[in-house]
Amino acid sequence: MTDFDAAVPEKEDRGSAPPSFAAKALTEATGLLRAPQRVFPLIQKLASDRVRTSFEQKHLYSFATTKRSSAVTLDLLLRWIFTAQRSDDGIAAYYSLLTGYSESYPEVTGYLVPTLYEYARAQGDGAAIAAAERATNWLLSLQTPTGAFPGGLHGREQEPSVFNTGQILQGLVCAYRETKRPEVLASAIAAGDWLINTQQEDGSWSGPGAYQNAPHTYYSMVAWALAELSEQSTDHKYGAAAERNLDWVLSHFRASGWVDGINLRGHPNYLHFIAYVLQGVLECGILRRRTDAVHAVAKPAWVLLRKFETNKYLPGAFDSDFKNGHHFTCLTGNAQMSCVWLRLYEMTDDLRYPNAALKMNEMLKQMIPVRGRPGIAGGISGSYPIWGRYQPLRYISWGCKFFADALMMEQRLTQSFETSALKVLPCAS
Amino acid sequence: MRIVILSSSIYSETACALALRVAEAGYVPVGALALRTLDRGTVLRKLGQWGVRGVTRYARNKFLPHRRDGQTLVSNPYLEPVLKHRDGVFRSLREVAASHRFPVAICKDQNAPESLARLKAWSPDLIIFTGGNILRKPLLEVPRLGVLNVHLGWLPEIRGMSSPEWSLLQNVPLGVTIHFMDEGIDTGPILQKYELHDAARSGSLSDLRNRLIAFGIDKIAEVIAGLDQGTIHAKPQSDLDRDNQFFVMHEWLQNRAARRLTTMRLPVDGAHG
Repeated sequence: MTDFDAAVPEKEDRGSAPPSFAAKALTEATGLLRAPQRVFPLIQKLASDRVRTSFEQKHLYSFATTKRSSAVTLDLLLRWIFTAQRSDDGIAAYYSLLTGYSESYPEVTGYLVPTLYEYARAQGDGAAIAAAERATNWLLSLQTPTGAFPGGLHGREQEPSVFNTGQILQGLVCAYRETKRPEVLASAIAAGDWLINTQQEDGSWSGPGAYQNAPHTYYSMVAWALAELSEQSTDHKYGAAAERNLDWVLSHFRASGWVDGINLRGHPNYLHFIAYVLQGVLECGILRRRTDAVHAVAKPAWVLLRKFETNKYLPGAFDSDFKNGHHFTCLTGNAQMSCVWLRLYEMTDDLRYPNAALKMNEMLKQMIPVRGRPGIAGGISGSYPIWGRYQPLRYISWGCKFFADALMMEQRLTQSFETSALKVLPCAS
Repeated sequence: MRIVILSSSIYSETACALALRVAEAGYVPVGALALRTLDRGTVLRKLGQWGVRGVTRYARNKFLPHRRDGQTLVSNPYLEPVLKHRDGVFRSLREVAASHRFPVAICKDQNAPESLARLKAWSPDLIIFTGGNILRKPLLEVPRLGVLNVHLGWLPEIRGMSSPEWSLLQNVPLGVTIHFMDEGIDTGPILQKYELHDAARSGSLSDLRNRLIAFGIDKIAEVIAGLDQGTIHAKPQSDLDRDNQFFVMHEWLQNRAARRLTTMRLPVDGAHG
């Protein structure tokens, strides 16, 4: 079964019965009737992925290589993001091969802001700064009086969402760091206060505002945003709230490296969410100087690294304890794992992490179409092959975000290697 | 001592050189089992490993007649002294086998029941692995003493792939470890470790790898003799709970390793039991 909504799990269906799979599929398919010019790119992509999956050979000695440079790929990804910025200044969630661009998506728009500023700094690109500023202004207009931000796609959902507020908070903190605009800091503080007010005593978020009213370990991304806010605002209550959540998430780590509590009813454990847990815990742990968090992340990151190195791909979803890997690849999750491995290298000096990340980036570079209509060129699909279960037939903005982040981290790493003497490094795992 | 050689192909230079070296030391193999060369998986693996140009050069060297300009056609020049014979070089296990009178069998999978039956029929004391499949327990249990492997790195510090390159980056001595294989990756008991004295003279990573292969083949006869005479004993590896497995190195890190090679100065050392 294909799940057309799996990518936007924060979109809640309170108050009405969720549309059936058939209804969702039908809605998507009618997009082709409205815009038949999308038929050819659809067939072309389906055929190219069919051919690629039929002929690719993976073996112990191989890894994907491409002549396309990281800089060129990064530029392609950013062009995709610029094109996806809608007339309301928000950034679309995805470009569907069936229905075209989606509405603007506040959550992704929020956490694309740090990517845009980072790209602007690295490349001296003024367009990226302008895009980030427009996105920030749009986000400010969406904030509710409580400080929360709404979940889901713009215009469809007005209920406050913990996760989306946390993700947007990351963008606001970055925007404030870059611009020092007081209204941005005020907005970030209001969002942070709302998050603290809705946090449970055990450090989790559940009930109204949490997806499916349940607590989720991937809300470690919210903890990361609060830790960032703590650094910027110098108010320690945000850091304390971040650590409360961090402790709660860490209590869900198993000895095998698996993390319980992703807790998405009706969805498998997509790599995207597993990687969210790891990224959130790792970044929050780094900011809060919590070595226990860094060590905890190293275990599942290593399990996934071994799987990637041995099988040359990472399954798009897993059952508990990394068992029964599904037979498709979640490209966003792959890009996130590349980020996790590169960050772990910075923390542990274990060169096996960047070794895996560089190979992962090579593989992902091959997946980016250089040519094609806007929405396709420079985009990264939800799944490979494109009919895989995670975001089928869509190019997704958060895939571009995480892969751009991974490539910029790679550039930072390679430049630091070039400018410093080669270190002799111990292995960490 | 009854020795059998496992090879990834009958055209493997390493397997040929090893068979010749052990025969020269007085242990003529009782058989060799090689994977089918033109197997789809093998060809694709080699294409991935060497590229189209490398595979074409390899095929030309193996299948076309010798050139008459006196140049030999050995890809690893350090194996040339072992592979050389009066009229040229040994180019396949078949030629080595004909010269030393031992049988060669071809198989699709070294772990397959028919391969196991063949190996059992040779009742080996020792199997020497030079390449092929990941060996499963039934095969590992065939020889009386075990299956020997020459690992191109220091164990237990560097297990797995790209060992010479990782050794350079991890500042681990460059050398070979001769060990018995078990079901893990390079986790079996160690017989002997040898440091390569002149590794610093290697002009490139592939040159270093070629030197290590030749060095390992040279040393294996010493280990076999030691096993035969009871002077060398296997010691279980320490540090097995630590994950020292390394994977194929990305080109960018390989360049760092190559740079390290050009600047290194190695201490002179000997064998390490």
